[in-house]
Amino acid sequence: MTPHVPGRVLITGVSNPLGAEVARRLATRVPWLFGCDVDDPVSALEEMDFVHADTRQSVIGKLVRQLKIDTVVHLAVMVDAPRGERVTHETNVIGTMNVLTGCAGPSSPVRRLVVKSSQAVYGARPDYPSLLSEDVAGFSPTATSVSRDLIELELLAHDFAVRNPACRVARMRLGYRISRETMLGRYLSLPLAPTFAGFDPRLQLLHEEDAADAIAAAALGTQEGPFNVAGDGVILLSQAIAIMGGQPLPILPPVGLGLSRLAIRSTTGVNLPGHLVELLMHGSVLDCSRLATEFGWLPAHSSRAVMDGFAFGLSEEPIESPSPPQEYELQVYLQRRRRGEGNGHGTASSLALSR
Amino acid sequence: MSRNPTAIYDAAPRERRRRSKNAKVITPGAGRIRLPRRVKRLQRAAPMYAFQGLNELSTRLRGLTGREVIDMNRVMGLMQFAYKQQQMAKRGPNYAVDEFGFDPEWTESLLPLFEVMYRDYWRIETTGIENVPASGRAMLVSNHAGVLPWDGTMIKTAVFVAHPQPRHVRALVASLFMGMPVLSWFLRRTGQTVGHPDDTRRLLERDQLVLVFPEGVRGTGKQYDDRYKLRRFGRGGFVSTAIRAGAPIIPVSVVGSEEIYPMIADIRALAKMIGMPYFPITPTWPWLGPLGLIPLPSKWRIQFHPAVHVEENPPDSADDQNLVMALSDQVRDTIQQGVYDNLKLRRGVFV
Repeated sequence: MTPHVPGRVLITGVSNPLGAEVARRLATRVPWLFGCDVDDPVSALEEMDFVHADTRQSVIGKLVRQLKIDTVVHLAVMVDAPRGERVTHETNVIGTMNVLTGCAGPSSPVRRLVVKSSQAVYGARPDYPSLLSEDVAGFSPTATSVSRDLIELELLAHDFAVRNPACRVARMRLGYRISRETMLGRYLSLPLAPTFAGFDPRLQLLHEEDAADAIAAAALGTQEGPFNVAGDGVILLSQAIAIMGGQPLPILPPVGLGLSRLAIRSTTGVNLPGHLVELLMHGSVLDCSRLATEFGWLPAHSSRAVMDGFAFGLSEEPIESPSPPQEYELQVYLQRRRRGEGNGHGTASSLALSR
Repeated sequence: MSRNPTAIYDAAPRERRRRSKNAKVITPGAGRIRLPRRVKRLQRAAPMYAFQGLNELSTRLRGLTGREVIDMNRVMGLMQFAYKQQQMAKRGPNYAVDEFGFDPEWTESLLPLFEVMYRDYWRIETTGIENVPASGRAMLVSNHAGVLPWDGTMIKTAVFVAHPQPRHVRALVASLFMGMPVLSWFLRRTGQTVGHPDDTRRLLERDQLVLVFPEGVRGTGKQYDDRYKLRRFGRGGFVSTAIRAGAPIIPVSVVGSEEIYPMIADIRALAKMIGMPYFPITPTWPWLGPLGLIPLPSKWRIQFHPAVHVEENPPDSADDQNLVMALSDQVRDTIQQGVYDNLKLRRGVFV
């Protein structure tokens, strides 16, 4: 097998924040970059050609053959289920199936496929070992809907890899990420967070930048199989809520996860998917040793650092009016500079003083 | 914003007065009563005065009765414990747990409680502590008895209290208990983890002391008539894991744990209904309610045996079922013999 040099890269689901970050990283590293999604991208990138394409319809095959794509980065996978379980299932299972059939066959130019998966593929159970290695995941009758979809998605990707030995497939199981948009982030920022009485689970978090780095490294590499990607160390749920300035409220009874989910939704308005409710009870921590040995790389931010960063509002600064591409690039550049200068606080006063 | 802040000092005094804002007068809050300084000082020194008074009382009583009525060392220990707990509460979210959820600082703050159980309640005599290595990995394998796993707690306390190099022992527990409220939180926080081969290997690779009870709930659920008769040691999985991880096995015999809750009967149907491995009936449980949870003050002995060096076998011999079962039986026989020896050394169940 010759080492894979990506020439023409297609990113599906490029409009979500992770897709945009991966595109920004790959833009300077590969000669041709294409992106497709249902929605408009939040940021316009000069080096990338954007196509409106829905993975739920079988258009990827045509796209791949016409554009002679050799690397597909499949990021159109939903884990948070904000639009309901039906849409999530359609996107995750049917969408992935369409992408895989599009890349299959002897006439396909695709030599590298990176599929985004999630820590949610494991679910959270008390009889699991404390650290989950890649081979723990598998069919379980008690799995929640998102976990079930992800297991099916990974099985499809695995079958594809077996049938198409010319294409190397990597499945990246990304740890839970927190931001203002994700359900876990919204839950942790509640002033009074309802928790399960008598449980204080371990959480493991992944920084957005580390997630994008991992996907980009996988797109440029040749490693095959599933990989756990998560920050170093763990943080307890009570610690996480306290760092966010909230107060844990241990009122949920340890039986009937569905009822607890309804209770959280009706009292706080945060619609946690089933796998996150499980996580709040039993917690889950990944063993990233396979990532370390095969990629020679580990996420730079520890779980604690991710949590602290989120609490101080440095993890992600919202970017307003991203319409013209230059303005967006300029804003990102200025943001980088500002962040590099120091602690990130009191930037306005330091600017005023330097004048 | 861009005005030079130093400019104000160059201006004339009158101008300066015009530009400067009126100082805001802060009045002390009306809600709280302000105590006189003398009362405050007394308040701060109160614990010290109390201690001095108690010390005086202790000396007088010793003089009067001729023996120790109030042990000042105990009082000191109690005060230290209260202070330590206060410190623990103050640290907020600023502490770190390892990947298994172990919080060593918090565990050490609770140890004085278990030390009281160890020294005064069960008057535990520990022998062979020098067989536990001061550093590096090792697997402690012990007999399991008593309805609640107090024997695990006491082995942990023994290694921390009696060993010249205090070490934390990480015990493996059945996954059943990891799904229970409060228990799962407490077990994880104090360093325990699930009895899964992956977890055992990871702990040994981190050069930890791992405590294994191969009998599992078969041991704790024994009835009083079967006391001190070791049960089957599973399929010897602990030996395979130790060989693969290159860790010596240290057999441990515990005597005394069988009598803390003498189990007269086991209601299987009720146990099945509430999802427990057994439902014990003891002379006090469930008749006395929560009081039935108080263990009886039997006399304990713990013996650490010389290590069985299973790590000298090549790693691939971990799959050799013959060798694994032979080693497992050797460890089991050592523990059983140790139990009989220590029973002979004990004068009675409660003395």
